[in-house]
Amino acid sequence: MLSCRDFVNNADQLLDRDLRVSTRIALRIHLLLCRHCRRYVKQLARLIKAIPFIHNKATEEEVRKVMDCIHSHENT
Amino acid sequence: MELEKLAQLKSGDPVLFAELVRDHHRALIALTVPIVGISEAEEVVQNAWLKAYQAISSFAGKSAIRTWLGSIAINEAKMQLRQRKRESLFSDHGDENQYTEDSLAQRFTERGHWQHPPAHWHTDSPESLLTGEQLAECLEKLLTAMPDNQRCILEMRDASGLPFDEICSELTVSSANARVLLHRARTQLFKLVDHYEETGEC
Repeated sequence: MLSCRDFVNNADQLLDRDLRVSTRIALRIHLLLCRHCRRYVKQLARLIKAIPFIHNKATEEEVRKVMDCIHSHENT
Repeated sequence: MELEKLAQLKSGDPVLFAELVRDHHRALIALTVPIVGISEAEEVVQNAWLKAYQAISSFAGKSAIRTWLGSIAINEAKMQLRQRKRESLFSDHGDENQYTEDSLAQRFTERGHWQHPPAHWHTDSPESLLTGEQLAECLEKLLTAMPDNQRCILEMRDASGLPFDEICSELTVSSANARVLLHRARTQLFKLVDHYEETGEC
């Protein structure tokens, strides 16, 4: 019987659909029985979706530097 | 991105391109730092922007724009390493289990059941989950302290959306080790956010 720790160790791959069918079925069955792991995987999925937003926007100065370099290449 | 905006961008609209730089520049820097180091990342990303600007008309829109830009930046980083005849700062340490303990290990009983189950998270939208002022600061500290190889895979897979196979081949890391690294990185973030959602502090 799969433990919650086993489930957590495999949850990334479950979300990435990168598991053998037998393991996936075992994890799905565990999910039916365990509300804590249901919450874990739901929130992990939410976290992964949020990761692209961790980087702040570039400052105007950073943007200008990049664009100036592009324009100087365009003019050569 | 809406189709109309994409078409304008592909036609070389400099204002829209500057918007792209504003939105993705920091992510590309974070992506290349673990490969070339902080002192060269800016130059690498500058070259990547130049390539992206020249190639934007060929962007097919099949992947997210961040993923497309990420691939260009990784290529530039690798080219830089070749020119300087240097190895990547990223290294595959083999068995990762001996290096860092799983961040959630303490949350389970000896038999592997939850002792301290995850809290209920109140924040719903992906844009705001990780951007609370206090949390953003803790997150920055966590990411800075994270081993380069974990950070690198997190940036490539989750922040830029590069396919897992491509990451393994770019970094010449086995898929088993890449999985462990990604899991370690994600669980550290999970633990931080979970604590923040539960207590309002981090």
